[in-house]
Amino acid sequence: MIKRSFFMLSNKPRLTCDLLETDPEAPLKMDVPGLLTLLLPEPIDGKRTALIKKGDVVEKGQKLLLYENDTQYAVSPVSGTIKSIDTFTVDEVSGLRTRITIEKDDRNTEHVGYTDMPEDLSFAAQHLNQLPGAPGFDGLSRNGIQLNALVITVADTDLLSTTSQYVGTAHAAELEKGVQILKRITNLSKVYLLIPGYLLERVQFDGVTVMPASLNYPDTLPALVMKNHLDKILPAGRTPEEMGIFFIRAEAVVSLARAFEANAPVFEKCITLIDKTGARHRIEAVIGTPLSSIFSQLGIQIDEQDRIVIGGAMQGFATFTDHHPVTPDMDSILVQDKGDIIPLSDTNCINCGRCVQICPADIPVNLLVRFLQTAQYETAADKYDLESCIDCGLCAYVCTSRIALSQYIRLGKHELRKLRIDA
Amino acid sequence: MNNKKLTVSHAPFWHDGDSLFKKNLNFIIALLPAAIFGVLQFGAPALGVLALSVSCAMLWELIINAVSKRPFTIGDLDAALIGLLFGMMLPAVTPWWLVVVGTFVAIFMGKMIFGGIGASPFNPALLGMAILMLSWNMFFDFDTAYVNYDFDFTALAPLVAVKFQGAATDLFPLSALFMGREVGAVGAVFSLGLIIGGIYLILRGYARWELSVSFIAGIVITAFLFHLVNPESYAGPWFHLFSGYTMLGAFFLITDSSSSPVQRIPMLIYGLLAGFMIILMRNIGSYADGTILAILLVNVVSPLLDNIRPTALGKDMSNA
Repeated sequence: MIKRSFFMLSNKPRLTCDLLETDPEAPLKMDVPGLLTLLLPEPIDGKRTALIKKGDVVEKGQKLLLYENDTQYAVSPVSGTIKSIDTFTVDEVSGLRTRITIEKDDRNTEHVGYTDMPEDLSFAAQHLNQLPGAPGFDGLSRNGIQLNALVITVADTDLLSTTSQYVGTAHAAELEKGVQILKRITNLSKVYLLIPGYLLERVQFDGVTVMPASLNYPDTLPALVMKNHLDKILPAGRTPEEMGIFFIRAEAVVSLARAFEANAPVFEKCITLIDKTGARHRIEAVIGTPLSSIFSQLGIQIDEQDRIVIGGAMQGFATFTDHHPVTPDMDSILVQDKGDIIPLSDTNCINCGRCVQICPADIPVNLLVRFLQTAQYETAADKYDLESCIDCGLCAYVCTSRIALSQYIRLGKHELRKLRIDA
Repeated sequence: MNNKKLTVSHAPFWHDGDSLFKKNLNFIIALLPAAIFGVLQFGAPALGVLALSVSCAMLWELIINAVSKRPFTIGDLDAALIGLLFGMMLPAVTPWWLVVVGTFVAIFMGKMIFGGIGASPFNPALLGMAILMLSWNMFFDFDTAYVNYDFDFTALAPLVAVKFQGAATDLFPLSALFMGREVGAVGAVFSLGLIIGGIYLILRGYARWELSVSFIAGIVITAFLFHLVNPESYAGPWFHLFSGYTMLGAFFLITDSSSSPVQRIPMLIYGLLAGFMIILMRNIGSYADGTILAILLVNVVSPLLDNIRPTALGKDMSNA
């Protein structure tokens, strides 16, 4: 953990992204466990008849749909039998998921693949959305989205992770192939490569515009990349896709190239794992592998009240169970000992202004939090810039009162969305 | 499946380790040089006032917490800091009951009634002082307070002397004022110590430099203009800077976070306004030292000033 420096005239902590080693080691391959878990971003609806049920036999690479005409799906990474289908909560506001547990069997299914792989968006959205790196093709194929530019991120968005940097540089040749495929899928010619300056020489190919990424957090977040590199301001409350800018991880592009190479889906996800001592492990695990299996293979002991953080120290989420599976977008896992957890408090805001000074979106956080605490979400959005927040988490990181600022903001956005739907 | 209970909370999962306790502790540490000097200069009564003030403030907060059935908050040292600041603004010979009443006003009416730390629109220590000064004015006459003391410097309160006898006096050399060789409040006389403490806080990032710098600038500019017009009756800027509560105000009172703005331009305006008001009160008002009332006055303006702020990312755009 990076502590406050002794002298802090500027009030800004220097949070820099972790650097990739000069000679990075290949990731440690994790064994495929007997039981795998897939998370489908759609809750179980008791009124409808599900297409899959407990006891069904599935093939490796089989697309698992919960209901007829669904757009969301999971892809089975192994052949086996469905052991259970139940509801799963990831975190407090992102909604319920359906958890599908599959027991692996020993059938030889090496040759499962697609008979035909057209390079178009609808095929990508229907079959390749669950590739390691979570390409997000479903968001692109949604109606009314006019794409202008692609940004491939070889820079990691959160602290501690080196996953994107590693995959983007170690597999530069596949990245190049993937970029060509991606260009054909999206019909876009404007492709940007966001890459930390010190890695520039490791990735060199034509057809992309290179944007040297700053190593300072949170400069690699989409809204700030748009502002600093593309000269486009993301309007409050909108997503980059809505503005025609599509951010995609380098790993997703590499996976895309591999899938087209093999004519089959791929499942190996590269993950940066930080253990309790702060040591970094680079691992490769099949999507659906429960984290507990990874921990036992690496010899990491998880105790009561420890914290398992998925997706980065600043923006990730803490899972309630060590059986949480590896998902396509899981770039990093951080394990914190219970002694290292700094508790939050319910003290008032003391107006010290550190959040205001550090906020990259110029939000008056000190005022905003007062409205959020009293559940005045509409005022918070209209007057105090709730929707401008880019969720970097820096305000809560520096908060002297240790208020759960990010949580208030996330809840505020969630409630606001609900209010607008009801209206 | 075993069910280990993990800690689940919201991002971010890191914190820079700062806390209210550390912030207030640093303020207290920064106040110590001036406080210790006050004790050395004014003796045991000064120590008595400081100790009583700190302990009373903490006790009042404890009692109010208990009565209002709220969690005990004295652990964050905020009450101790208010008590220390309050004690440092008193003359060394203040009667005990005045300290008890004053800290009650500061903690109860200044802080707890609004909901505790961070919620007070006024600087609590200043509110306590203001009410005492209006109620028992005679105890704040520094000339009569120290009649039984034997000093080797001019035992006249500089601001009072200048106000009523004119600025053309050489009773108060700047070096003496700077080194604390003057009569005044326990913790406010030693300008050098306060400056050292203040610079420490600014370097540590606990006090915001914009407030202190603009406050000092406000005083220097206003006092200079007055002095320019009539050097006979209005003292120069340096005299004002090192007398009365000025330095305590510049680094410890104006920088109180809950009653001051947080945006840069509002902070600069706020400080300038406070400095301007102080000199106005000292030179043409009826009080010898306007620091306390002037800062309380600008406290009221603080929320308004904070409306001057940059447009947030992606807000109010023509193409949105």
